[in-house]
Amino acid sequence: MRTPSCLKPVMMAGLSALLAIACGSSIPPPSDRLASAEAAARSARELGASREPKAQLHLKLADEQIEQAKKLMADGDNKRADLILQRANADAELAVMLAKEFNARAEAEKAQERVKQLKSGK
Amino acid sequence: MSVRHSFLFPFAATSLLVAPLVAGCGSTLPPKELVDARAAYQAASRGPAAQQAPAELHVAKQALDQAERSFNDDGDSPQTKDYAYIAIRKAQLAEASARALIAQKDKEAAEREAQNLTLDQLRTAQKELSSTKQSLEKTQDQLAAEKAAREAAEKKAAQALADLQKIAAVKQESRGMVITLSGSVLFASNEATLLPAAIIKLNEVADALIKGNPDANITVEGHTDSQGTRQYNMELSKRRADAVRDQLISRGVAADRIKAVGVGPDRPVADNKTPEGRANNRRVEIIVEPPKS
Repeated sequence: MRTPSCLKPVMMAGLSALLAIACGSSIPPPSDRLASAEAAARSARELGASREPKAQLHLKLADEQIEQAKKLMADGDNKRADLILQRANADAELAVMLAKEFNARAEAEKAQERVKQLKSGK
Repeated sequence: MSVRHSFLFPFAATSLLVAPLVAGCGSTLPPKELVDARAAYQAASRGPAAQQAPAELHVAKQALDQAERSFNDDGDSPQTKDYAYIAIRKAQLAEASARALIAQKDKEAAEREAQNLTLDQLRTAQKELSSTKQSLEKTQDQLAAEKAAREAAEKKAAQALADLQKIAAVKQESRGMVITLSGSVLFASNEATLLPAAIIKLNEVADALIKGNPDANITVEGHTDSQGTRQYNMELSKRRADAVRDQLISRGVAADRIKAVGVGPDRPVADNKTPEGRANNRRVEIIVEPPKS
């Protein structure tokens, strides 16, 4: 049961990755978190978060935290940036849901208005 | 070794004394963010999110647990505050998610109701339409039936008139349709008994009257020439009119709409000085009144 020689580089790469994660001083930049926070903020904007004050507030917080995280990443503080991005993500996702809620409520009111019209006879 | 021991001992002792204090401080004084996060989760878990958004509520619980762990491990650190902040947002998200779902359900319910109402109104309209159509058809049927009945009656009346014209002189006057029968055809001289041929003729007249004018009032007038006394002629004309009336009734003309009068010589239609004129004056007129509309 000898390890095939072709797998040796793969194993070496895996080992070095493990080492990199284990070593706190060299946390990689949280690019994925940044991307997902930015995507969530974009979604909130597209859903019309600016039309609803609470959604607008959390979108603003998300935007500010994304900017803050970018600065931290530029300074090399990836660990702190990662947490700030988690906060940004939470705010952006909340903004998305508040916008959805606002839209659903508006549609519900529209439908209820239609029922009222039908009941009044015209 | 002893030197080293003596150096380490006080340090260890101090640590043992301080550690519970630190832990005690940490557990009694959590950061405001964590207190808020606990309250936010409590509020969310007691609200509609428990029913409507259990998955989001679970995520919020996990976020709160992470904040609690961070507080246990690191105390009141920036990281603990970050996790608490995130936990608050997750709890708010669960609540917003539940509200959005309820709004969505409200919308669907209202749309269903609107659809049902629209359907109801459509059905009502269709019902009204079909009943209108039915009554229209009925009206048309009635109109057609009435038209057919009217046409049949007119045809019958026309036929009856044609029948009458074959057996007697028929004129339209303002008092109605006047059927004139010559006295010599009906009676022997000075008699008020109908001749056998007259009975046959009067029966035909009766049939035509029943067929063509079943509802009209009928007057039978007896007329004479001017020969003889007026009183005699009045009586004779009345008896002759009665005889004609009785024959019509016996053939089926309704008794309550037929009357007989004797006019005598009073209304000649021809000159009483000539035999032809006198013959024309001796007559019976059957007047069929125009229907009162």
